[in-house]
Amino acid sequence: MPVEEGVYGLLAEFNTPQAMVYATERTRAAGFRRMECYTPYPVEEAATALDVHRNRVPLMTLLGGIMGLTTAGLMQTWMSAISYPVNIAGRPLFSWPAFIIPAYEWTILFAGLSAAFSMLALNGLPQVYHPLFNAPNFRSGATDDKFFLCLEATDPRFDLAETRTLLEQFHAVSVVEVDL
Amino acid sequence: MAHGHELDAHAMHGSHALHADHGPRVLPKNLSAPPMVNAWRSQALIGGAVALLVSILFLFSHEGRMHFLRAYLLSWFLMFSLCGGGLCVLMLQYVSGGKWGLVLRRPLEAMTNTLPMLVVGFIPIMLFGKSLYLWMAYPTYEAVHTALENHALTEGEAHALTWKHMMLSPVSVSIQFCVVFAFLWTWKALLNRWSLERDADPNAGTSASFEYWRIKSENLSGIGILFYVTLLTIVAIDLIMSLDITWYSTMWGLQFLVGQGYLVLAVGIWTIVRLSREQPFATALRVTEQHDLGKFLFGFVMLNIYLTFAQFLIIWSANSPEEIGFYLHRIRGGWWAICSLDFLFHWVIPFCMLLSRDLKRNPRKMIRLTAFMMFARAFDLFWLIEPNFPESMNNFGHAGITMLAYVTVPVGIMGLWAAYYLTNLASRPLVVLNDPHTAEILEPEHGH
Repeated sequence: MPVEEGVYGLLAEFNTPQAMVYATERTRAAGFRRMECYTPYPVEEAATALDVHRNRVPLMTLLGGIMGLTTAGLMQTWMSAISYPVNIAGRPLFSWPAFIIPAYEWTILFAGLSAAFSMLALNGLPQVYHPLFNAPNFRSGATDDKFFLCLEATDPRFDLAETRTLLEQFHAVSVVEVDL
Repeated sequence: MAHGHELDAHAMHGSHALHADHGPRVLPKNLSAPPMVNAWRSQALIGGAVALLVSILFLFSHEGRMHFLRAYLLSWFLMFSLCGGGLCVLMLQYVSGGKWGLVLRRPLEAMTNTLPMLVVGFIPIMLFGKSLYLWMAYPTYEAVHTALENHALTEGEAHALTWKHMMLSPVSVSIQFCVVFAFLWTWKALLNRWSLERDADPNAGTSASFEYWRIKSENLSGIGILFYVTLLTIVAIDLIMSLDITWYSTMWGLQFLVGQGYLVLAVGIWTIVRLSREQPFATALRVTEQHDLGKFLFGFVMLNIYLTFAQFLIIWSANSPEEIGFYLHRIRGGWWAICSLDFLFHWVIPFCMLLSRDLKRNPRKMIRLTAFMMFARAFDLFWLIEPNFPESMNNFGHAGITMLAYVTVPVGIMGLWAAYYLTNLASRPLVVLNDPHTAEILEPEHGH
């Protein structure tokens, strides 16, 4: 595999969540979208500022649920009516009332699994390497007492010098380049 | 690589970023119901009166009188669902705590305070019950025996009447309802009184006061829920299940309990979301609590179909002649259409709608959906009540125009009930003050 080289993004470090959220709101207003906040604990305002409340997990859950419902319905129909038909108290082979409970349970099962796995997949997990860990201050501070905003180089507005100037006006503790 | 900067300046920016949009919220001085509640009350009164006037037309034929009476029973049961069910949800929010209960508390209290109308409304059912219940038409062992000999009753009906006489006789049912009403009256009176005393507490706002009132209300509510569930089961058996004297189901009480939660939450949410157009609920109701209540309502929609279907599945699996009549009467002869619509209205539509997060957070759509759910609950009761009667079972089309009594009578009675409810609602401050959750609903809101 070819080795990728270059800059992943610019990482600004802040001492308070307020400062980080302010910088996030301003950079978003300046047009940046490929960006992420890293905090030691959940900061709701950061999620609001990044507008990450909407994602595809609900859709995946719905599709999973529909898939579970259809699978269980078809499976039971095939088993009871086609593969191994048994006359139970003279009831029709396709006795749908009896199929509903398993179908209901499969709906929940598939929906739940879809929610969990699509959440992991959309988060890009599992991930064995992340460039941010190349920044020493990130390694020591991100799970402790520092708040980070990273503007990523893939953003069309990203320009190493200009973006650094933009970030520096928010009085970050530091603004560092992160290698890929 | 580190770019040091002075940190003094940006702390100010920071606090601006966190609080400028959301702001510390303050309740308005005046916490009483906005004037629009009076307008709603007038609308409810006028609508109810018109519907009742139209209903009088049904009294001119025998069929019409019968349908009027059954529709009246339906309306009474809706009132009971809201008054008694409201008490049950009120007790539930005391024992569980939480902000959802705080914003619903005043509407729930207003529902429980409609009890006088429920008690007075019960009298006609006892007076005209002969046309509804076999146990009223044949109140003694002798009457049952004679009727059996004259072939006015089938063997099965006579047997069931004799067997169930201990519970189902005019005297026994009257005693049961005295207990039911005495319980409802005691519990709703105490909880309503304490709720006002709590806000008037001189130590209001201290944790000693919070704890004192919390424990006091919890202790009454915990045991009250147990009593209520038992008594509700008795009411549901006496008034609805016994319309068919031979039939029985152990799911019955639970099914009505959940149905009441469904209706009470729909009415409660409808009320507070509509109130949130003006102060004080414009401040007191955050989207977060509306969303939470929507999820809670969704739970009731789910539990309701679960129990309803469970009863069907048990009877379908057993396939025993004593039980299946209940469903056959409600499926054959045109009832199939009503049964399917009931499934659609009562479950499919609310379920699919409430899946959506956006809908639960949208005030206008929640108002429409909860209004629809009130109708769906009445529609379900119609499907449960009307096919009990011999001329109507297996034959939906027999009645013709007088079936419309099922529209006009409930609209009329519930219109009057709504006026009473709104009067009660306007009689107290809408927001509870002496509660630790009050500070929480004033916190800035986060998107979830």
